[in-house]
Amino acid sequence: MSLVLAADYRVPDFDHWWAAIAGDLARLPGLGAHIVVVYRSLQDASRVFVTIGVRERGPVDALLRSPVMFSWFDSAGVDEIPPMFVGQVVEKLNLDTGTLEAGPAVTSTGSPAAVIVGAIAPVGQLDRLRASIHAAVPRLAASGVRRFWIYRALDDQAEVMILQEIATERQAEQWIHHPDAAASFMAEAGVGAYPPLFVGRLVQTIKLPVT
Amino acid sequence: MYICLCLGVTTTTVQQAIDAGARSTKQVAKACGAGSVCGRCRHTIRTMIAAAAPDPPSNKPDRLRRRWGRT
Repeated sequence: MSLVLAADYRVPDFDHWWAAIAGDLARLPGLGAHIVVVYRSLQDASRVFVTIGVRERGPVDALLRSPVMFSWFDSAGVDEIPPMFVGQVVEKLNLDTGTLEAGPAVTSTGSPAAVIVGAIAPVGQLDRLRASIHAAVPRLAASGVRRFWIYRALDDQAEVMILQEIATERQAEQWIHHPDAAASFMAEAGVGAYPPLFVGRLVQTIKLPVT
Repeated sequence: MYICLCLGVTTTTVQQAIDAGARSTKQVAKACGAGSVCGRCRHTIRTMIAAAAPDPPSNKPDRLRRRWGRT
């Protein structure tokens, strides 16, 4: 089973962190991590959204409290550990072709111009959400949504992380301000421990060596 | 989401502690352990406590009340 870890946080000095990230990446395979995807906010240059794909090797608790995990945040100069989403992909929709397909645990945007809109939020019944998304595929595609990934949290069956790839920044802005009814989950982001909606672009997808 | 990585404490568990009356990070730590080891998740816990704090209904978005089960 493959897991996705994701966190939304601020890196005080992004350029410094990015220049020295090789050391952090070298430690991650020890956790079973095989891929890291880094997105950077369009509105706040210090804000990043990072997903880490992990081949499950043991209890999640042990994974999270690993010194490697804390070192990841330490190296970035992050004092306050952000809430961590831990889940599995349940659906990957490619609206370019209209196909519904099972996807990898972690994926990334396909075009440098594309904008990623990330939300972590409670959605109530996931099956109902998925049905409404399926029914809205033509409308989503017409709004510029090209890919739609849904991940379900391990610790809460009603909590999801949804990543939407949108063709352009303008369409993303329009989508956020005037979302389809099927994307009502976006309104639930930013409440309590849940981070506000993330809007950014892919920085890099990094495949890690298998150990 | 996992709030406290040291002890693997989730949003749900922290929220239950808050719903049961915890109104400080110390009280949350006593109730469920979150924030009691390295303490680097206390900011998030404070955010959750603030979100649950009593507030005039007109000042609180409906979605906030829904999320935390308030009416």
